[in-house]
Amino acid sequence: MMSNVNIDPTTVATVWHSMQTICKEMRHIVKRTAQNYLIGELQDLSVGIWGADGSTIAVPVGLANQHLGTTFAVKELVKMFEGNIHPGDVFLTNDPYHGGHNTHLPDWGYIRPIFYKDELLFFTLCRGHQMDTGGSFPGGYFPNAYDIHAEGLIIPPIKVFERGKERKDLVNLILCNVRFPDGVRVDLHAMIGSTTMCEKRMLALLDMYGRDVVLASIEEMIRRTELAVREEIRKMPDGIYTGASATDDDGTTLDEPVWVRARIIVKGDEMTIDLSESDAQRKGFINCTESVTYGIAVAAAILYFDPALADYHNQGTMTPIKVISPLGSVVNCEYPATVGASPVNVGCQIMEAVVEALAKALPHRAIACWGKHRGDYLFAVDPRTGERYVRTCFDYDGSAGAVAGYDGYQAVSTLTALGAAHRDNVEEMELRVPWRALQWEFVPDLSGNGRWRGGPGIHWEALNEGSDGQMATGSSDGDVVQGVGALGGEPTPLSRTYLRRNGEDIRVKPHRLVPVKERDILVKHSAGGGGVGKPEERDPQMVADDLRKEFITAETARNVYKVAVDPVTFEVDEKGTKALRADK
Amino acid sequence: MQNKRVCIDVGGTFTDCLVMDESGLLQKFKASTTPRDPSIGLMDAMKKAARFYKLDVKEFLGQIEILVHGTTLATNILLTGRGAKAGMITTKGFRDSIEIRRGIKPIDVSLYNVFIPPSEPLIPRWRRIGVEERTRYNGDIQTPLNEQEVRDAITSLKQKENIESVAICFLHSYINPAHERRAADICREVAPDVFVSTSHETLPVWREFERFNTTAVGVYVGPAVARYLTNLEEVLKQSGFRGTFLMMLANGLVQNIAECIRHPVFLLHSGPAAAPSGAVYLGKHLNEENLLSVDMGGTSFDICLVDKGEIPTTTEHWENDQRVAIKMVDIASIGAGGGSIANIDALGLLRVGPASAGADPGPACYGRGTDATVTDANLILGYVPADYFLGGEMQIDVKASHKAVAPLAKHLGTDEKGAAESIFRTVNANMANKITEVSTKRGYDVRNTVMIAGGGGGAIHAGFIADMLGIKKVVVPPVAALYSAFGMFAMDIGQDYARSFVGRVTNIDLDALNRVYEEMEAEAAKSFRVHGIDPESITLKRTADMRYVGQYHEVEADMPNGKLGREAIDAAADFFAKKHEEHNTFAMPWKAVEILTLRLKASTPNASFTLPEVKQAGADASAALKRRRVCRFGGADVDTPVYDGEKMLADNVISGPAIIEETTTTVVVPDAYVCSVDKYKNYVLTRN
Repeated sequence: MMSNVNIDPTTVATVWHSMQTICKEMRHIVKRTAQNYLIGELQDLSVGIWGADGSTIAVPVGLANQHLGTTFAVKELVKMFEGNIHPGDVFLTNDPYHGGHNTHLPDWGYIRPIFYKDELLFFTLCRGHQMDTGGSFPGGYFPNAYDIHAEGLIIPPIKVFERGKERKDLVNLILCNVRFPDGVRVDLHAMIGSTTMCEKRMLALLDMYGRDVVLASIEEMIRRTELAVREEIRKMPDGIYTGASATDDDGTTLDEPVWVRARIIVKGDEMTIDLSESDAQRKGFINCTESVTYGIAVAAAILYFDPALADYHNQGTMTPIKVISPLGSVVNCEYPATVGASPVNVGCQIMEAVVEALAKALPHRAIACWGKHRGDYLFAVDPRTGERYVRTCFDYDGSAGAVAGYDGYQAVSTLTALGAAHRDNVEEMELRVPWRALQWEFVPDLSGNGRWRGGPGIHWEALNEGSDGQMATGSSDGDVVQGVGALGGEPTPLSRTYLRRNGEDIRVKPHRLVPVKERDILVKHSAGGGGVGKPEERDPQMVADDLRKEFITAETARNVYKVAVDPVTFEVDEKGTKALRADK
Repeated sequence: MQNKRVCIDVGGTFTDCLVMDESGLLQKFKASTTPRDPSIGLMDAMKKAARFYKLDVKEFLGQIEILVHGTTLATNILLTGRGAKAGMITTKGFRDSIEIRRGIKPIDVSLYNVFIPPSEPLIPRWRRIGVEERTRYNGDIQTPLNEQEVRDAITSLKQKENIESVAICFLHSYINPAHERRAADICREVAPDVFVSTSHETLPVWREFERFNTTAVGVYVGPAVARYLTNLEEVLKQSGFRGTFLMMLANGLVQNIAECIRHPVFLLHSGPAAAPSGAVYLGKHLNEENLLSVDMGGTSFDICLVDKGEIPTTTEHWENDQRVAIKMVDIASIGAGGGSIANIDALGLLRVGPASAGADPGPACYGRGTDATVTDANLILGYVPADYFLGGEMQIDVKASHKAVAPLAKHLGTDEKGAAESIFRTVNANMANKITEVSTKRGYDVRNTVMIAGGGGGAIHAGFIADMLGIKKVVVPPVAALYSAFGMFAMDIGQDYARSFVGRVTNIDLDALNRVYEEMEAEAAKSFRVHGIDPESITLKRTADMRYVGQYHEVEADMPNGKLGREAIDAAADFFAKKHEEHNTFAMPWKAVEILTLRLKASTPNASFTLPEVKQAGADASAALKRRRVCRFGGADVDTPVYDGEKMLADNVISGPAIIEETTTTVVVPDAYVCSVDKYKNYVLTRN
């Protein structure tokens, strides 16, 4: 890029704001038009704008694993298609390997180059989780796959549109290899539509300010962001901080936890996130590719920077941060390792390990782990239409973990998604799939206690009014492992999933594929977030409020928080509390 | 003799009052808003008006035929968290719907900011009680209503919690409201003094979070709204008012007091929602139908894009982090107004807004606060006259503005004028960006629209925003500073109706569909008859929310009136496909289309009025030249002519840069525009 253009701060801010807005509009278009539940309603979707050199420019909306590491993919694409990138081209890839730098096969990314006056200036990406991507089981969460080929169709970076024209034969080949091709086609249009809009808006921006001013503004913004992030790192005491997190198992070798270990070296204004001590890559589908690991590790670090910077992050954020993930480990797996569950496992573990380590560096910004993802994929037939359906959701995840200063936010999903993924309505679910909800509420004592309490856990039950089917629990975790709290706060409690059949609860562990019968009741008991700070230091009034809200029980108020509360008026008994707390 | 029509808009800072008398002339009055009891400020404005007509208040009120009232009361209650102690009775097992809130973080908070407090639902968990009952997705009853549990719940809410209002929210009530109706009856019987509202009456449309939360907002603002309106009606009556009293609603219609008290959530945006009606009315006089209505007040900048004279509506609104899913006039808003505060952000860049100094302390020049605001910048740039603020009614302090801007200037490495110009440009860019966002979302080229600028600050900034966007024509009406009140003159009386109706277009049950529309029309006719309006005079507009099978979001498509046959439905589906392409860049002709919700808007036009005309003169405006003043334009100090707005006449032409001072607003004509005055005394800025 170029830097000899004189620009004023007002123009920098204006150009920047425009690009952030464009990204938000991209998501809006997909949300309004997609048919796939995951991207249409739950926002399992990421968009952004990158420079022609792959530098990250605008990434305000999306999931870290899906888009923060896209710089790898763009750089590779530019190399692979050198001399063969044209206006109107749209690339598609879902490939974790072969230059795709993707997360797992269901995440399809559409990449469009943006030319201005015949010069390639930018790339935009829209990547989202498809309802199906072929393979042995719908949805892509198939445990025990022999290798990645069993997980679905692999699409290396290819052109699906060339100079504005759809390559119909190629698209046809792809759609013939997925289930629900009609639906996937709708989402193809929705996602490409958003990149069309991005191109249009970017060209208008270039027309308004001129190429040089726009590029110089971006460069200036990246420069300023880097300075600010370096300052944030400099404020962390120099040192080595460690954290570790495990997933229940890898789905193939059962009941044996798999570990991610982070060693964070803070020195001056730079940070190295070294994940070398993590376990070797596994046979099971919990492996992450390098770019995914990178995106998640950077996202975790960002949480510890001044929240006032939250709206800005870009390439400048990434420059002072180095991520080490050795080839052949669970955090940088090699073809043909399976990766189906990687956004959740070990994606979440990477996030948790970094979050735990940095809490030690910056206790006043400590963050506890969030409730684990408790998702599943269910595949059966709806007797009302005779059609096959896939059901998946974030409805029964717990809540956010606490942070120093605030209790965990209620009912936002998973640390890796940072609440980007939304939940459904019971009324929408019951119209779409043959399941009737029986309960969906917070339950007491199912989150980490602390001076700041984790967001509450959730109990969810629904009855299968449809056919027998199959359920894969690959996107869940947390029956065995717990997410840590911070500064003496409790970890996230354990979660459970059951199928209630003829009155009997059959336990279903994460990372399994199990049959589901007609009239089965699916029971989800999902833990909330972890706590921050010691419970006995919590403001007694907040404990009384929690009791009144039934987020905790009277026993917990008394035994864990050491607060005496009148069970009828919910008033704090100051004297009783003093006695309980002195007693320790 | 009842011959006057009055529109009163109670805003955050000022209470605007417009009177149209028997001669058809519009008179403007402004009083300070009295937040503790807004009816005091309202009566103050009435007194000012009465004085103008040399009448006592009683005589003046006695002459009012129609009074239309807009108020920010409901919006303010939500904003300040001072709503009613409300309870909720809901389906057992699902009492957390409004707290789970579909897992959505506050919508303006970045993904990467986790340092936010947990959400506080309007009805706390301990006042939400589940009762045994269940309706299925198709309306069948799965579990009958346990009436004893309803009795116990309302008794406990009343006795233990002393609630003022209660929301009855059951799953699938939009398709079968029997349980909600019965539970509401029980509540009214057990606790007759509690305000009861059901979700199916508030919003009879599927998706429980949206429906329940909208109902919760209703019961939260309801008691205060009822108190205020009942009291105001009484005060007016005692003061001699005998006319028709109507409230301005969120959906761009006006409605009588009894209906408003039953559906208090519709009072959100009462006021701002009127502005687009004013724009459309002006548009008719200007022969323009693609309009961009902008309204810049003290704290916010409201935008509405009117296509072919049609005021757009939305059901996707969030009000202060509360989801409100009723159909509302689609007004996009950002925190950019005269009071918006300028500061330096974490990256050392200038930011303006969204925080606002509001009316108190207000901009630094008001002498109470120290924050540099947009108004301070406008003062430093010479746009706003220090000696003629609100026609000289208000004293302001230019030195205080300079003092407030000085630290920013230092940081930006410029002088105070330079910093003021940066503030001016930044806030203009924010507003222009928001306009682009709105127009892109709706698939329009904003350059083809005429901008109608209102609000206290609208006329200062409009020309510059238009310049940035390439808009060729800007119209500043003489009532710009009382823009919403003006819009109320142009509103229709009426109501929106909606019913869930799910089915594919190809095999829709035509009889059932016709029946639903007929039912809604009968309901509308009944409601109009109750209010003494001849049902024959109502205009009915049918629409249907449609989507491609499998999608999650709908597009509202027009439906013809009368008995609908196959062809009409197919035509509506084609209309849907066209709109889908306009909004989203593509259509999918190979996909089946389904209908989700049927809607009806029933309205009857408010009595018509004409705009008063001013005397014609030639192009020469020199008779109105008041003085010259140095103003800053594009980095240079320019000796700028300042005109007296009161003396401007039709056909006068002024080239930019120039300033026109009116008592209630200032018009700034940028370099690139020529300003002409039309016969209605509109200032029409045309790009060179």
